[in-house]
Amino acid sequence: MRFVKYAGRRLIFLVPQLFVVSVIVFFLVRLLPGDPAFLMAGQFATEERIEELRSTMGLDQPLYDQYVRYVTNVLQGDFGHSWRTSQPVIEDIKQRLPATLELVLLTGFISVALGIPIGIYTAVKKRGIADRVLFGYGMLAGSIPDFWLGLILIFVFFSLTGILPGPIGQLDPIVSTPPRITGAIALDALLGGHWEAFRSAVLHLILPVATLTLVYMTLIIKNTRTMVEEMMNSDFVQHARAMGFKRSVQLRYAVRNALPPVVTVVGIVFWFLLGGAVLVETVFAWGGLGQYAVESVISSDYAPLQAFVLLAAIFTLLVFLLVDLAYFVIDPRIKT
Amino acid sequence: MTTLADGGGPQSRREAAAAEFHNFLAFARRRPGFIFGLCVVFVTVFLAICGPYIAPYHPERALPGAGLQPPSAQHWMGTDVSGMDVFSRVISAPRIDLAIALSATLIAFVGGVLLGVVSGFYAGARGIPRVASEAIMRGADILQAFPVFIFALALVGFRGPGTENVIVALAFLNIPYFLRVTRGAVFQVRERPFVEAARCAGNKEARIAFVHVMPNALGPALANVSPGIGFAILLTAALSFVGAGVPKPTPEWGSMISIGAPNMMTGQWWTALFPGLALGITVLGYALVGDGIRDYMDPVNRR
Repeated sequence: MRFVKYAGRRLIFLVPQLFVVSVIVFFLVRLLPGDPAFLMAGQFATEERIEELRSTMGLDQPLYDQYVRYVTNVLQGDFGHSWRTSQPVIEDIKQRLPATLELVLLTGFISVALGIPIGIYTAVKKRGIADRVLFGYGMLAGSIPDFWLGLILIFVFFSLTGILPGPIGQLDPIVSTPPRITGAIALDALLGGHWEAFRSAVLHLILPVATLTLVYMTLIIKNTRTMVEEMMNSDFVQHARAMGFKRSVQLRYAVRNALPPVVTVVGIVFWFLLGGAVLVETVFAWGGLGQYAVESVISSDYAPLQAFVLLAAIFTLLVFLLVDLAYFVIDPRIKT
Repeated sequence: MTTLADGGGPQSRREAAAAEFHNFLAFARRRPGFIFGLCVVFVTVFLAICGPYIAPYHPERALPGAGLQPPSAQHWMGTDVSGMDVFSRVISAPRIDLAIALSATLIAFVGGVLLGVVSGFYAGARGIPRVASEAIMRGADILQAFPVFIFALALVGFRGPGTENVIVALAFLNIPYFLRVTRGAVFQVRERPFVEAARCAGNKEARIAFVHVMPNALGPALANVSPGIGFAILLTAALSFVGAGVPKPTPEWGSMISIGAPNMMTGQWWTALFPGLALGITVLGYALVGDGIRDYMDPVNRR
């Protein structure tokens, strides 16, 4: 019951946040030098198309009318047209979103599943070889550009040894794409039982996911380690130690209490991952939303870019909403 | 904040400075990472000034018939696909990278500190100042609702590629970081007795905020400058890598990596490897300098 109340309040808070984000994204188009309708329509647009766009965008209307129109359109799933793909932006997004989510979610889960145990391990076993290796890795991972690491992995595992497929997207060209269920190819192949496609899709996933994991997992490791260390030195664990509890019990107490801050870091990692995915998708020709955004920037295709920024902000708000809710569940000290 | 040297009070300002410098050397000697970082900063600044002059080849001129040569005595880091010398380009790149990162970070520093002082000093006040303080914080929250790289990409996308727009985007994105650390510092400084003394002496609130509090709350923001520059270099390279930053063929690490990307697949590793290494080492160095400065300013960590 307390949870429902908290979640309700947190959800209500989402409304003003979404409002402000939409205002900002709406004004992004105003940054364009010159006539937005002319630029939104793209360089091959006809005179009529520009006129049409000018009236759909309502550039002759007062600003707040334009804003209301923009929000109404977005709520109806109308993000405008991409002149580059000559499709409605919403169609392009539907096509590409699952590929990006596949990359981001898979990386996120692997980072959590590996990062938290590693963090706990290094907090307990200090001054070992593993600790030193991880220290070096943590320093490097914060400075290495993710797109460059992706290229290095391609060189080592594709051009040098040929173990893994090259950066040609999500599937080998000779493998037929499995029928679309979720849109994420590996998942579709698994669900439909297309083993050849599944194998190919998984092989293609390895390098991009490894790139992102190597760069962003270090945040989780570092924070888990610091928090567990702090908890191991806290009064209640020292008390447990003095009472003669086993080390495993002490550790369990420490880990349980270190979890809430770690959840926050996991949220931050997802926030970073979306930006990282844009670059890594470009490197691996992944064909997801990130690559779509980059292509839109390069060809000055503004409607998709605007939609992408809005989606990225909504994704961020949802991630931090989930973080807050998870925090509430695992830390009963939070007041409603 | 001045620190007194060990063993007796220094007689003059000059002696105090000498003692401070001595302290600093003793501090740095125990931290190889800090020394490494300082060397990186020194080398990048040196290359930003002299790089293009000491480069063995012209950094933007392709040598005819010399495309994709592996590293050799003539070309230490090989040549790229159009026959430009990779080594010359790697050492010429700090000029544009550092210029962008420095100007963006300085703008963000000034903007962030000023806003941070206003929002920190007037938090909990009454009337318009309080509204301003709240508005600044909410603005920072909203700015940080967008993933960093995506917002940078969008700003540059809508303003068009080019050096100035990269600077504007990066400055804008970095303001919240400086704002938050300054605000935190102001919270502590404004409770100190000298602030009350200044108030009793009849200073106006705004004067107290900017003349008395601000200089004493600069520490955390200053410690953030170096990692901020590193981060800005990384973002500049990322933007240039996707083609939304510094246009080719200007020597810039990110755009060099993007030129070399197709060659990585066919096995010519040198075109993308070296600029990436330079980029990574630089970012690491600036981060380490930031860590060092932060520890140096904290008396507990200093010894």
